[in-house]
Amino acid sequence: MSTAWNTFYRQFFELEGYKNFLVGLEHTAIIAVCGLLLGLIVGCLLATCQMLPKTNGLIKALSKAADVYIALFRGTPMVVQLLLIHFVIFPAIGINIDSVIEAVLVFGLNSGAYVSEIMRGGILSVDIGQTEAGRALGLTYGQTMLRIVLPQAIKNVVPTLGNEFITLLKETSVVSFIAVVDLTKAFQNIANSTYEYIIPYLVLALSYLVLVLLVTGLIRLVERRLRASDKR
Amino acid sequence: MISVKNVYKNFGPKGEIKVLSGTSCEIKKGEQVVIIGPSGSGKSTMLRCMNLLEEPTYGEVWLGDSLLTPADPYLHPEVIMASKTFEKMKNADPDREDADIIAEIKAKDLLKKHEGKAYRAALKAIELESRIDINLARQRMGMVFQHFNLFNNLTVLQNMLLAPVKLKIMSKEEAEEKALALLERIGLLDKKDEYPSKLSGGQKQRVAIIRALVMNPEVILFDEPTSALDPEMVGEVLDLMKQLAEEGMTMVIVTHEMGFAREVADRVLFMADGVIAEEGPPEELFTNPQNPRLQQFLQKVL
Ligand SMILES: Nc1ncnc2c1ncn2[C@@H]1O[C@H](COP(=O)(O)OP(=O)(O)O)[C@@H](O)[C@H]1O
Ligand SMILES: [Mg+2]
Repeated sequence: MSTAWNTFYRQFFELEGYKNFLVGLEHTAIIAVCGLLLGLIVGCLLATCQMLPKTNGLIKALSKAADVYIALFRGTPMVVQLLLIHFVIFPAIGINIDSVIEAVLVFGLNSGAYVSEIMRGGILSVDIGQTEAGRALGLTYGQTMLRIVLPQAIKNVVPTLGNEFITLLKETSVVSFIAVVDLTKAFQNIANSTYEYIIPYLVLALSYLVLVLLVTGLIRLVERRLRASDKR
Repeated sequence: MISVKNVYKNFGPKGEIKVLSGTSCEIKKGEQVVIIGPSGSGKSTMLRCMNLLEEPTYGEVWLGDSLLTPADPYLHPEVIMASKTFEKMKNADPDREDADIIAEIKAKDLLKKHEGKAYRAALKAIELESRIDINLARQRMGMVFQHFNLFNNLTVLQNMLLAPVKLKIMSKEEAEEKALALLERIGLLDKKDEYPSKLSGGQKQRVAIIRALVMNPEVILFDEPTSALDPEMVGEVLDLMKQLAEEGMTMVIVTHEMGFAREVADRVLFMADGVIAEEGPPEELFTNPQNPRLQQFLQKVL
């Protein structure tokens, strides 16, 4: 065990494996955070498409399109989507961008499908009487949504969105399929160059665990803030 | 003030649940009208058609000179006369009276969606002249719900200020002054910064009533305002409503409080099976009911 530790120590600190680790950490963080932000935007747009009152053909078409989008992204594994974008779709249409950005796109588009379902559930969980009271006062659909329904919906979905973020964070470990150096890849490199697997992978697991615990604490904090602003 | 003209309301994907079947009524300025009737008779639906929380399937709703619904061709003979169907029937038998043809078209529901240029122009003319944006109309009619529906994410004061300020009906200062005066009046000034969850049912409903009042509405619709309250809180809400009535507020009230109806109502409408089966001043309606359904109903509730 102690030789294993020494090997790891040497590789990590003296041979500058930590630089690799920092790059990996940065990529993992960028993909998870930007992916979630993009997912929130995409998810809110999708949920809006599905929930607008179906008064005209355009809205109905948008709603159908959103259904198809969600079915596609939820119906296929993230890795497959990643591979398709990286090796098939982007080369076919001549787009050549950084793999990290590709990963952000895929994670954002993918989590958008989940976020939209979460947002939809959150909005539906707000009593219809809230909307009716807003509309009865003469507020428009948009004003009622923004001022009354969404604030209550978001409070309801913070825990679920937090879970989505944690899932996303852990799933970033598949990006090495398109040659992005993330946390997992960084430790894989260390392990492969020393033929010593135990310590690198234990430290890898520990790294994810620490990240997830940090995020969990952050979510708790936000939840408590939201509850404090409106004791119910 | 409010005219409901031959309103039908069907629910369900194919309109198979028929709730209102050709109801009409007229609410005059300064009048207090109470709607009674058995559960499921369509009282709420009728009230909610007045501010278009439910859109009537056929028929029209007017607020003063303003048409809130799409124009209903069957209520405007000149529209029917401009239709192809009318022309066709007229050509087939030039001697027939116009009124008879119109009656037949109405009875057989013969107007189709696309009835030709003249028909569409006639419809459009009516809508152009009278139809107004529903959001503007709703600013002029308050509504009070059975379950209060105070905005849970806003304080009492914010609840009262949101609509008048956001809709630029008055300045923030003006609205705040008015809201505070109303809160003072109902004795809840000290609750202005509380969230609705901290209020009792009676307090919630009184706040809901003054939330409607801040908007300076021309009429307030009440849908069973005391039905969700504990018995000891019914009085405070009815008292506030009585005060409004004395001040001459136009009110349409769906309620099961027969004592209140007797005391406050200028007119009582009895609904059964989606139509107004009988109406009249409360003394008459309660002491000398004609309709057997009403007699039955009163026996149960009085
Ligand atoms: N949104 C709806 N969808 C389907 N049926 C409805 C809807 N709203 C009301 N109804 C039906 O219409 C009937 C009358 O309802 P309502 O107007 O609430 O009656 P009331 O207020 O007199 O008790 C009831 O049978 C109810 O089930
Ligand atoms: Mg009802």
